[in-house]
Amino acid sequence: MWLPLLGLILGISLGLLTDIQIPSVYENYLSIAVLAALDTLFGGIRAQLQHVYDDKVFVSGFFFNIALAAGLAFLGVHLGVDLYLAAIFAFGVRLFQNIAVIRRMLLTKWTERKGTID
Amino acid sequence: MKKLQNKPDRSVVNKRIIFSLVCLVLGFILAYSYSLSSSKKISGEPTNSKFFEQEERYREDLIQQKERNKELETELVARQQQVREIEKSLSGSEEQYESLIQEAEDLRLLLGVLPSTGTGVKVQLEDAEYDPASVNPNDYIVHESHVFQVLNEMKISGAQAIAINGQRLKANSYIKCNGPVITVDGKQFPAPFVIEAIGDPSVLVPSLKLTGGVLDQLVNDNIVVTIEEKSKLEMPSL
Repeated sequence: MWLPLLGLILGISLGLLTDIQIPSVYENYLSIAVLAALDTLFGGIRAQLQHVYDDKVFVSGFFFNIALAAGLAFLGVHLGVDLYLAAIFAFGVRLFQNIAVIRRMLLTKWTERKGTID
Repeated sequence: MKKLQNKPDRSVVNKRIIFSLVCLVLGFILAYSYSLSSSKKISGEPTNSKFFEQEERYREDLIQQKERNKELETELVARQQQVREIEKSLSGSEEQYESLIQEAEDLRLLLGVLPSTGTGVKVQLEDAEYDPASVNPNDYIVHESHVFQVLNEMKISGAQAIAINGQRLKANSYIKCNGPVITVDGKQFPAPFVIEAIGDPSVLVPSLKLTGGVLDQLVNDNIVVTIEEKSKLEMPSL
């Protein structure tokens, strides 16, 4: 149970301590990577709650989505088309959907539990 | 998480390792982008404001300079006006000064620093027709001494500005004989020589035509001389 938390803390401290400056052109990629990571994370939580969770899907989705989003942004910058907007849009919509599903499931669970307790 | 713990041990450990990896990456990305954007905010604004400050300062400098220029210009105009007024008052008050001013103007014209226009006279000196086989050509062509004679007579008669074949003469001009051509200030001119002088034609022409004067001497030297009065001649400043 403590291992993932430890990993999170390690990652955060690593990120805060890293002092690498990246060109402003590539900052888009990072923001998209953040979005992709969050999206996959919430997707994983939702899948877990829906009992369709799969390790491979989750992990491959996590890394693949990040790479794909960054790659899309990269391609967009070089083609002169704001492709990263597509990634932001897609991930944003999915993020909201996932969170909505999670919220509803938690609500149902909570009311069920309340019902059983009563 | 609770569901995870309910599953068999090996799977749980696997999942935990995978989760910690994912969490590591997530945390890293989040923290990194956070620190990046915050550092940008910190470093971005001062440079911007510094830039603006600098620009503002330069702009103020420029405005100051322009104002100063304006002031100086008005001052210059005022000073020039003053000088003119002084000259005028001097010329108005005393005849002597007036003549001096006139002289200064004349000298400027002579120096060629002012463009000159006005009535004048045009003298053309041409070589005479001759037979090279039978006579000495030197007796029939225009020499620089002839040009000098005309020039001197013109200057004595109060010519303001003189030009030879369009070449304005300065105070320190030189004229040199170079065989069939003469050199004026380094430029060569062949015959016929056209000497233009700005001045009063009623003085210039008679002085050239004095009995035993320049015209007679030139005619004596077998030179074809044409004297023309001009109502308007223009000579640029040098």
